[in-house]
Amino acid sequence: MSTTQHGKKEKKELLLEIRGLRIEGYADEKWIEIVHGVNLELHRGEILGLIGESGAGKSTIGLAAMGYTRDGCRISGGSIDFEGMDLTTASSDELASLRGAKIAYVAQSAAASFNPAHRLIDQHTEAPVQYRIKKRLESQEDAMELYERLRLPNPKEIGFRYPHQVSGGQLQRAMTAMAMACRPDLIIFDEPTTALDVTTQIEVLAAIRDIVDQFNTAAIYITHDLAVVAQMADKIKVLLRGDEVEEAETVKMLEAPKEDYTKSLWSVRSYKREQKYRPTGDATPVASVQNIDAAYGDVKVLEDVSFDIYAGMTVAIVGESGSGKSTAARCITGLLPPTKGRILFNGTELPSSYKDRSKEQLRQAQMIYQMADTALNPKVKISEIIGRPAYFYLGLRGAALKKRVDELLNLIELEPGDYYNRYPPELSGGQKQRIGIARALAANPSFIICDEVTSALDQLVAEGILKLLDRLQKEFNLAYMFITHDLATVRSISDEVVVMKEGKIVEQGPKNEMFTPPHHPYTDLLLSSVPEMDPDWLTTVLEERGVDNIGEAALKKS
Amino acid sequence: MNYFVIAYYALLIGGSCLAAYYQKRTPFLLLFSLTLASFIMGIIGGEGALWSVTIAAGIIALAAGTSYAFREFLVIVLPREMSKTIKTAPLTASFGLFVVMTYAIAGIFAPVIAPFSEAEVVSSAFAPPDQTMLLGADQLGRDMFSRIIFGARNSVGLALLATAIAFFTGAVAGMIAATKGGWFDQVMGRIVDVIMSIPSIIFALLLLSIFGTSIATLVVVIGVIYAPRVFRLARAVAGNIVVMDYIEAAKLRGEGTWYLIRKEILPNSTAPLIAEFGLEFSFVFLLVAGLSFLGLGIQPPTADWGSMVRENATLVSFGEITPLIPAAAIALLTVAVNFVVDWMLYRSSGLKE
Amino acid sequence: MNDVIKIILKRLGLGLVTLLVISVIIFGAVEMLPGDIAQAVLGQGATEENVAAMREQLGLDRPAVERYFDWLGNALTGDFGKSLVNQKQVSSVIAERFWNTLSLALYAAVIAVPIAIFLGVLTALWRNSPFDRVANVVTLTSISSPEFFLGYILILFLSVKTGYFPSLAKISDGMSFWEKLDRMFLPALTMVLVVVAHMMRMTRSAIINLLASPYIEMARLKGVPGWRIIVHHALPNAWAPIINVIALNLAYLVTGVVLVEVVFVFPGIGQMLVDSVTKRDFPVVQACCLIFAATFIVLNLAADVGSILTNPRLRHPK
Repeated sequence: MSTTQHGKKEKKELLLEIRGLRIEGYADEKWIEIVHGVNLELHRGEILGLIGESGAGKSTIGLAAMGYTRDGCRISGGSIDFEGMDLTTASSDELASLRGAKIAYVAQSAAASFNPAHRLIDQHTEAPVQYRIKKRLESQEDAMELYERLRLPNPKEIGFRYPHQVSGGQLQRAMTAMAMACRPDLIIFDEPTTALDVTTQIEVLAAIRDIVDQFNTAAIYITHDLAVVAQMADKIKVLLRGDEVEEAETVKMLEAPKEDYTKSLWSVRSYKREQKYRPTGDATPVASVQNIDAAYGDVKVLEDVSFDIYAGMTVAIVGESGSGKSTAARCITGLLPPTKGRILFNGTELPSSYKDRSKEQLRQAQMIYQMADTALNPKVKISEIIGRPAYFYLGLRGAALKKRVDELLNLIELEPGDYYNRYPPELSGGQKQRIGIARALAANPSFIICDEVTSALDQLVAEGILKLLDRLQKEFNLAYMFITHDLATVRSISDEVVVMKEGKIVEQGPKNEMFTPPHHPYTDLLLSSVPEMDPDWLTTVLEERGVDNIGEAALKKS
Repeated sequence: MNYFVIAYYALLIGGSCLAAYYQKRTPFLLLFSLTLASFIMGIIGGEGALWSVTIAAGIIALAAGTSYAFREFLVIVLPREMSKTIKTAPLTASFGLFVVMTYAIAGIFAPVIAPFSEAEVVSSAFAPPDQTMLLGADQLGRDMFSRIIFGARNSVGLALLATAIAFFTGAVAGMIAATKGGWFDQVMGRIVDVIMSIPSIIFALLLLSIFGTSIATLVVVIGVIYAPRVFRLARAVAGNIVVMDYIEAAKLRGEGTWYLIRKEILPNSTAPLIAEFGLEFSFVFLLVAGLSFLGLGIQPPTADWGSMVRENATLVSFGEITPLIPAAAIALLTVAVNFVVDWMLYRSSGLKE
Repeated sequence: MNDVIKIILKRLGLGLVTLLVISVIIFGAVEMLPGDIAQAVLGQGATEENVAAMREQLGLDRPAVERYFDWLGNALTGDFGKSLVNQKQVSSVIAERFWNTLSLALYAAVIAVPIAIFLGVLTALWRNSPFDRVANVVTLTSISSPEFFLGYILILFLSVKTGYFPSLAKISDGMSFWEKLDRMFLPALTMVLVVVAHMMRMTRSAIINLLASPYIEMARLKGVPGWRIIVHHALPNAWAPIINVIALNLAYLVTGVVLVEVVFVFPGIGQMLVDSVTKRDFPVVQACCLIFAATFIVLNLAADVGSILTNPRLRHPK
């Protein structure tokens, strides 16, 4: 991206031109088309954001731009023209000499994409030495310089480490450096920050943006996160199930999307629910966690954690991976008995292990999981999944049970007749998540733990789930403990917020207070690291905080 | 050069050319590499070698034809869901199914099919084949063909029984260990490690030397040796399922171990377990055959393939293939089972390869 | 490096404990004989005096635990007691036969390992090609055939019908090295057929697994040429699985030898074991079982230690 305004660049030489690209995938002994004729143009120095939900074919198209298809995929039509060479008909030797040297790739999982047997710098120098672009030592020096530009700590030394000795965010930057090794004309970034925490992500984003800018490299940036792509791309192309929806320059796309689908993607972010406050007087909280410690073996993972959840309210537990937010849930459910402290339910203390709890105690607290795929047994009918808790806890059977299951299906807005006899694999992600909610409701609970329930879902579907949860909360006066790393979700649905870091609570309070300054430094870092839809957000944050006050460096300070 | 050799090469080269012309890569590669190999074999082994190749090709073609016909037959006969699966089966798998079915029929209807009973002496020792005795007589003058038919019942029956015992105990223990975890899992794991670090045939020999070689001990001993293998697999399969959130949900609901195994774990582990049953069966079958061959398995006069090989082994040094027939019967069944298992494993592994 | 040493020591300790437990099982199994060993060996018809004399000779009046430690202690110094059948020292008979068995296994391994690894890698690289499919059918067939079937086929075609090799593998000290190799060729070939099939399949799946990893895709996308991907990116990570495959199959060779030795009347420890089982010569059975189990465990240990040593994550700790 140029330092001038988005999209104001003069048209440059065409670098990559894809026409009518069709790709087929092999499944169930058949070839099925998964990309249906996509066109794409990229000029030198331009950054294109490819955006879409899972299954949109973004990665497949990204790889095809290098003339590469994964096993079980094949290009069945169209042309891919890179600097005058058609990659669909090029020989494998021609393609090999192009890859690395002229087109480079940055994968989502840096940890898995570096060979564990070789040092980072040896993997870095491999392509330049192979193509005789640079001598080995020369290339090593260059690597160190790139590491420095990408703001890696100890740039002179870090390359001599093995991949497993380096953290995820650093690896991702090392991989970007590796992609830069031959100074390619085009880099494909395939969800490079998806696996990272937000505080790490901002650092990697800033580094990628700078380096691509410095060398005027063209890039295809693949992601499902609109806010991220808004920071990176000059123009955005939206994909849906292998079809192009629309393409426009970033600013235009954000301000005035044309297609309905794009508009719906944008509107998700606007959902907001009214904040509720704790009941006054001495109401007992539904769930109360008091000073708990927990450990896996000898490793302490929770320290002195306390919070209360009142009826009808949503408490969001926010933190990055390893902050202990899911562990807190495991303590409450009794899967991981705490080593210290107690957990009260409606004022009475619960036995620490779920094995010692009564059926009634178990019934009161239910859980909804992140991955609906693993939360529902694929070999059990929907009616049985939802009916089991009703039978198990409430002893319903026969016609009464059937009636209850129908009622629950209606509650989650699924037509009972259509779903009663189906199995989970036949449902979409959102429908599965709804079944998970119905299973929790079937027990008539007063308290539900929602563990990242929307993070595996596409944004539009996620919004539907949030609305449903909100409606059910009002209807049954449910208390929610909402575990999430996504601050946008927190902002839209929570009443109170608990911020966790490294097993401890950093700060907690009502949402409106938490989102207005002054913040605890860590909350501040967290809040400022969440990308916003504003294309200038990253620039602004960097200006405000300075490059040394984001990411790992800032984490250490807070 | 005679007509056979000319026809042989003409057919191969003609076939290669046709395949090449119609751009059928696989048949072309196969045919042409066979042609090249035939040149070498022809030079070394003469016409005889080419005859062997022709016969082998004929047998393979026959087997392929049978498998193809049998697959189409199954597709028509079986209900919709199953015939859909069978349709995608490779020829090797349908060949396996065909052989397994043939053996099952031979075993079940042995007394009807076999012309003589298994222990009946009907002629002189090692009598050559004739009209009543298709495969000749064994070392005591019993009908070889009848004994092979009865062997299908005895050898396969014993192996099935032993596998069933090993499988049942191993699978149940493995699933309980995976579900319960804790000390039970630990202790079982250790025991299994120890048993599995004794080579199976050695362990069998040790136990049989002590407890004798009655059918009952044989079944129990093999059960003891193979149950740990099943345990490991069942533990691993169930272990992958136990970490799923739906198991956690069921546990938190307060469901008992038995419900978890029956309703949540078992439905998800049937495919790998069935494949494992086939695999274990072929191991057990080979072990029983080996023990019988060593004289420590099924005891005479009961007809059993392993012991039949041992009893007639001397014939091999006279260039007779009679003792190889029961051995081939063993190999054929194991191959068949393995073909089916291979297909099932491929199916359950999806498109990983 | 400390971590690696710790892990290896732990693994070795575990192996030692396993071996100890197995020695208990082997000793204990004989103790479980109905009646006692003297009665079992002499049979129903033996007189009271004979049985008593034998008990005396074997020291059966002493408690089992005491006799176990005696037995184990002697076994460690190479003394396995006397054969019940011919009163000879067990160790003197075993030593030579064990050497024969080992050389047979080694003979087979030297042929089998390179062929199997080479073909295994080829099938993995050309997976789903006609070559791979044919190899799959052939190896499955070979694995499924009992050793004695393969053995007799080889005897029939390579010895009886053609006379290329001797059918009986009788070897003695006086023979030259080449003569021995010639005599042992058919049994070795039988084992090679089975082992190559096993190893090929294991190598193939290990390599395919490896080639599916993201860093191999990354190397391809970096434009690294095919041979270099195999040599530089796949191989350093393939050592662990390959070492595993080799060790497991060597272990198989050493134990699978029993049937082959009987088919070819080879004077090895396997045939001796089978003989002693039929004759109920328990000291010999115990000794043979212990040796087989020990070899098996040592090879498995070697596999584990090998894969620990070649694991880059453990070799370069944080």
